[in-house]
Amino acid sequence: MERLVQILADAVSVGSLYALTALGIGLIFGVMRLINFAHGELITFAAYALLALFGQPVPIMIFGGIAVAVVLALVTERTAFRPLRNADPTTLLISSFAVSFFLQKLLILVVGSRLKGLDFLPELGRQIEFAGVRLQLLQIVTIIVGIVLLAALTWFLRATRLGLHMRAAAEDFRMARVLGVRANKVIAVAFALSGILAAAVSCLIVVQTGVVQPRMGLQLVIIAFVGTVIGGLGSLSGAALGGFLVGAATIMLQAFLPPDLRAFREAFVFIAVALVLLFRPQGLIPARGLKERI
Amino acid sequence: MTSGAPLLAVSGLVVRYGAVTAVREVDLQVDEGEIVSIVGPNGAGKTSLILTVAGIIAPAAGTVIFAGSTLGRIALEDVVAQGIALVPEGRHIFASLTVMENLLLGATVRRDSRAVAADLDRFFAMFPILAERRRQPAGQLSGGEQQQLAIARALLSRPRLLMLDEPSLGLAPMVVDQIYALLATIRTQGVTILLVEQNAERVFGIAHRVYVMSGGKFALAGDAAEIKSHPRFDAAYFGVHMREAASGP
Amino acid sequence: MSEPTRGHGHGGAVETAQRLWPLLALAAVIAAIAIAASFAPAVLQRRTTQGLINLIAVVGLYVFVGNSGVLSFGNVAFMAIGAYVSALLTMKPAAKSVFLPDLPAMIAHAEWPTLPGALAGGMAAALVALVTGWPLMRLSGISASIATFAILVVANVVFGNWTSVTGGQNSLMGLPAYVDLWTAFAWAVAAIVIAFAYQETRSALLLRASREDEAAAQATGVNVVRHRLIAFVISAFLSGVAGVLLGHFLGIVRVENFYLDLTFLIVAMLVIGGRGSLTGAVAGAVVIAALTEVLRQTEVGFQVGKTTIAAPAGTGDVILALIMLLIILLRPDGIAAGREFTWPFGRT
Repeated sequence: MERLVQILADAVSVGSLYALTALGIGLIFGVMRLINFAHGELITFAAYALLALFGQPVPIMIFGGIAVAVVLALVTERTAFRPLRNADPTTLLISSFAVSFFLQKLLILVVGSRLKGLDFLPELGRQIEFAGVRLQLLQIVTIIVGIVLLAALTWFLRATRLGLHMRAAAEDFRMARVLGVRANKVIAVAFALSGILAAAVSCLIVVQTGVVQPRMGLQLVIIAFVGTVIGGLGSLSGAALGGFLVGAATIMLQAFLPPDLRAFREAFVFIAVALVLLFRPQGLIPARGLKERI
Repeated sequence: MTSGAPLLAVSGLVVRYGAVTAVREVDLQVDEGEIVSIVGPNGAGKTSLILTVAGIIAPAAGTVIFAGSTLGRIALEDVVAQGIALVPEGRHIFASLTVMENLLLGATVRRDSRAVAADLDRFFAMFPILAERRRQPAGQLSGGEQQQLAIARALLSRPRLLMLDEPSLGLAPMVVDQIYALLATIRTQGVTILLVEQNAERVFGIAHRVYVMSGGKFALAGDAAEIKSHPRFDAAYFGVHMREAASGP
Repeated sequence: MSEPTRGHGHGGAVETAQRLWPLLALAAVIAAIAIAASFAPAVLQRRTTQGLINLIAVVGLYVFVGNSGVLSFGNVAFMAIGAYVSALLTMKPAAKSVFLPDLPAMIAHAEWPTLPGALAGGMAAALVALVTGWPLMRLSGISASIATFAILVVANVVFGNWTSVTGGQNSLMGLPAYVDLWTAFAWAVAAIVIAFAYQETRSALLLRASREDEAAAQATGVNVVRHRLIAFVISAFLSGVAGVLLGHFLGIVRVENFYLDLTFLIVAMLVIGGRGSLTGAVAGAVVIAALTEVLRQTEVGFQVGKTTIAAPAGTGDVILALIMLLIILLRPDGIAAGREFTWPFGRT
């Protein structure tokens, strides 16, 4: 029984990580119809910022991570994506793929491709008793961070003027602009928010793995992408749900597959995703008004 | 009603899309407080005309003077700030947002929140169905209700000129009656209206002046009563008279 | 594109030549490269051979991307499939028993000749494309692209962990290294012939028409899914063959060589050359091959007196990514901009 709760806690915590990643991707897709491959690099660069600031007080480190991710997100938007704002979706996809690789290779050029250890917040690795079950403090923290950020994002979108503008732009960009919603502002805010989400995920990953390496973000976003597609491109709740399900599924499969099949768990997840898409190609929670854009 | 210069003066307007000329040297004038209508069949160039008036499309030639200043090509976001509100064809309400949120978006460029609140109260009185459904997602409204929402949203920016592109499209006749009654009421509150319609019969009830557009040009222009009973109206609407003119008397 | 000839004695032949001109021109370019390389030192020959293999991979990707307008990230998975299948069928049983002691008996004892092995590799890839493509091609453009990404990841996970059949993370060594310059050349020409022949078919034409406006195409009754699937399968076959050749050129198959870096290289070649035409695909392969040569040289360095001035390792990758980015920003249709080689002898 205890084992089951531990597995569930793990699934929910990893699911939260992927949900947050998928949210960051979904935010950008909502306003720009762009799948941002470079989101992985936001996570990676934030981690290297943590590495660079190691030794500083923890709030400074975290702030540094957030700052780097947000600035990088805004810079990529301004230089690589704004000029392509009216381009077809495939061109946008290629562009984000190129940006992602450029940033990754640039990082490798500067810091090398070897992984580096980073002992960040090791106290979160502690085990604690929670309702009679031994869980890792980090798992609880991850789940709480996930819930808090999700709630904060939801509040922002529903209760603020800017959030309203973003939701309108995500549904019908042209009409929103005709009413006076500023395209540049809305898109910049979306990128900045995605940077914050990426930084949060980055901190949690670094605590969990204790390692920083140039490809760390990429592995995450590949799974998150698929989560976004299964959740329903263009719908934020779909992205979060899809990311969560895919993340949780990898943990559940890890726990319940027979040992010689365990290594293939990602393959099983992706095949399950393909099956879902077969029967529901628009995703689990499809977005409205999506037809003409895609 | 008006004194001096017209609110909107368009002269010699030419609009092209690549090799296609959608608007051929059009002159148009709208005085403050009028309801002016442009009628014509599909493809006549009506939408291109009003998009150019709004500043969304750049003309190949000609000028648009609105409220005394020449309107160049402007960004979509700046259209409302000019004092022009556009209710586009198909309404384009935000289905996933509530009625209230849709309306608030109409006030995006306004800074005076108290006056916006007062306006909202006024519109809820004018459009009672919107008041009733203010917290519902706009996608749940019927076609006619959505059209009301689109108009109220446009009015919330306190425009000097309200432009509507085919407001009766896809709506049942009784619903269209309601919409047109609304437009008449709005006009009494001092809003100038430029109305584009395929359904010419409708506009004769409320428009002061009518332009008949066909093949990118104005075939007829004049007071509504005059145009309504004009013997060549059908021909002008369908562009027949141009062929007749071409083949000679 | 071609107009009927007038008053020429051999009118039919000229017309055919006009239609085939892009294919002939490309074949001539490839032949010129191969001939030039055959006089070059062995090292350069090997690099040219690898360049020709990459060309086949890019042409394979182009067959799908160029005609459907949908970007595929999965073609490197098909290359891996081709490589592993051909390896398993053509490797000497003695070598197989060393690296893959747990193979099923039938495969363990197989020792096919190289050509059937290569064809089997291509067909295996095509089969996988047929099975996976059938649900995927229903997805809209972007979702389909992300889904092809999933193919790449699944292949990577499967090949990387199916230790009994593929050796898992270990390199599979001992493939018969029969791919030399002229083998690669022959296959490269075959690839462009197949690609060209396909793109002239009615299915490809309908697919290209749907590229501009999916909704409109579907509304007119064009079965976009079926035509996309056809392109996908042919594309997979060619990519599979490229994978076969890569494996038998290097003599070795490593699962991590068939993942994101190779995907990026192939996609970059296609994007830079121009994803709308076969000429673009070939141009991209040629230009990038030449560029990587130059960049490799700068990383090796130049002797100036006693010191070597060299760019730090990894510069080449950064520059390649930067060029791809610049192309997509400034000239998104690539070098060839969607055009094929045009008949240079004037219209008749």
